[in-house]
Amino acid sequence: MKNKTDRVKSFMQYLTLFIGAAIMFLPFFWMINSSFKTEKELLSFQSFLPKQLLIDNFRQAWEMGDFPRYFGNSVFVTVVCVALTMFVTILAAYGFSKLKFPGRDLIFTVLVSMMMIPYEMLMLTNYETIRHMHLFGKIWSLIVPFTSSIFYTYILRNFFLSVPDSLYQSARIDGASDWQYLWEIMVPMAKPSLVTIALLDAITCWNSFMWTMLMSSGNRNIRTLPFGLTAFTSEAGVHYNLWMAGATIVVIPMIVLFLFCRKSIITGVSRGGLKG
Amino acid sequence: MEVRIEDLVKRFDDVVAVNKVNATFESGKLIALLGPSGCGKSTMLNMLSGIMPVTEGKIYFDDRDVTMLSPDKREVGLVFQNYALYPHMSVLENICFPLKIKRVPKAERIEKAKEYARMVHIDDYLDRLPKELSGGQQQRVAIARALVKRPKLLLLDEPLSNLDAKLRVEMREEIRRIQRESGVTTVFVTHDQEEATSISDYIMLMKLGVKQQFAKTRNLYNDPANLFVADFIGNPTINQLHGIYEKGNFRPDAYENAIPIGRYQIEDGSRVVFASRPESVIVEKKNGKTVMEVEETYVSGKDTLCVLKAGDGRLRAYVDNDSAPQEKDLVSVSFRDRGVFVFNEESGERYYE
Repeated sequence: MKNKTDRVKSFMQYLTLFIGAAIMFLPFFWMINSSFKTEKELLSFQSFLPKQLLIDNFRQAWEMGDFPRYFGNSVFVTVVCVALTMFVTILAAYGFSKLKFPGRDLIFTVLVSMMMIPYEMLMLTNYETIRHMHLFGKIWSLIVPFTSSIFYTYILRNFFLSVPDSLYQSARIDGASDWQYLWEIMVPMAKPSLVTIALLDAITCWNSFMWTMLMSSGNRNIRTLPFGLTAFTSEAGVHYNLWMAGATIVVIPMIVLFLFCRKSIITGVSRGGLKG
Repeated sequence: MEVRIEDLVKRFDDVVAVNKVNATFESGKLIALLGPSGCGKSTMLNMLSGIMPVTEGKIYFDDRDVTMLSPDKREVGLVFQNYALYPHMSVLENICFPLKIKRVPKAERIEKAKEYARMVHIDDYLDRLPKELSGGQQQRVAIARALVKRPKLLLLDEPLSNLDAKLRVEMREEIRRIQRESGVTTVFVTHDQEEATSISDYIMLMKLGVKQQFAKTRNLYNDPANLFVADFIGNPTINQLHGIYEKGNFRPDAYENAIPIGRYQIEDGSRVVFASRPESVIVEKKNGKTVMEVEETYVSGKDTLCVLKAGDGRLRAYVDNDSAPQEKDLVSVSFRDRGVFVFNEESGERYYE
């Protein structure tokens, strides 16, 4: 009898999971599915699946929408942003966990409490700052405000705090300086955390929309993919099949990234209890 | 390398962890810092390594004043209580690390690391990560890593406390062997008197930050400087009877008869502690001299440990199995010249004959 209730229970669990997965998956499927159809096919609802895998939509969207430039911008911004964020985060986390200086914990508490301020509020000050730096409309305006993250610093600091001080003392006795200790011992040890942070940051950078829209309003050459796509939908006219092809182009790199790094993302998210 | 410390003091806020300690550690010897927890022995070690700044006093390595020198410039090797191996590095990489920092060429440092891995018998595990090793193996790696840069002074902080009993005996002999082979002056911290006495050349016994005695290991047992030393060293612990000294006799509080103990430089009527090692107590058939009742007997190997009732007090004595008395027997007790000491009851200072 128990076996039966167990089976029902597990069936219900799987059913719930299946429904959830279907809801998540369907829009992606719809998008990719539609991106292969001709416009006529898409609007006539004659068949669910495309009659042939039409690559032409991608070619058209790619050429019409200035996507090569957007793609390049996106890659550049994401790579530079992630690299700088990692560098700053590592140094800050080390400083806030292992170095001793007056007011260290107070400063950190203030920083952490600043995470409460909604991003939209910061946009105004960031805008002013960028303008004063004469970066407005330049690609660096998409990078400079996002080279540090309190949240990632917080995660990494927690990891650094869990490393026993005897390792530091041991490294010092082995002749290592603080700098060498950080890069030879701490950073390699923190690799799982660092990979998680890098991935989350890459996703955030890649998907960044509001700020990009604001900054690229004066210069369409610095648009990145997400905003480029929005612009494309208004500039290219109503061609659903092309829109869907454009949208697919935008998400594919992130999907590939996810497929390769699924494990690190999941462990990172579950360990830190953090959301992407 | 000879290590000399002069009036070494370490204060934490109001607590004095190490109080005006002077000592000279002879080159190439194995020295144990011994004492109960909180006696300042680990603090001493940390000051020698440079991890902990010195409050007052000086530390000399040979003639060089290293008091203000940072740990990386002291040429010391330190084995931590928890070994502090770098968890993401293999055994070989761990041992190589000090050389890597020194920018020794890769081929050379691997060769050297392997040489020391062989010395500590860990050369079969070079590719393992620390977490894949047992405690004893981890400790060997930690020792190899400390030795590979050819330190002038090797420091071991409670090196055996994380090991199980059997491994502990094995590893302390290993430490002895490795120390002999490398010839490096070695200081190790322990709270276990047996561990200290079994392998060290010299022992510094400490209590509450104060040096109690620093002497050759054998002398600490045979010639304790005060009651604390006499009590701390030796297993079973030294017998102690409280009482009054009077004209070559000791009158215990707990026992009606006086015990003749010979002439000491003590005023008559002073309160003293009469201490005797269990092997210095002579137990004979009852013959009219100091008579005591045998309370219990324990056979251990070729000897029998007898617990004798001295009024409210107890005396432990080792007797040969063949001549061992039975429980409840009345026996006569006298003392050998060796292993018998008289201390001031209040200060614990020793009186001499």
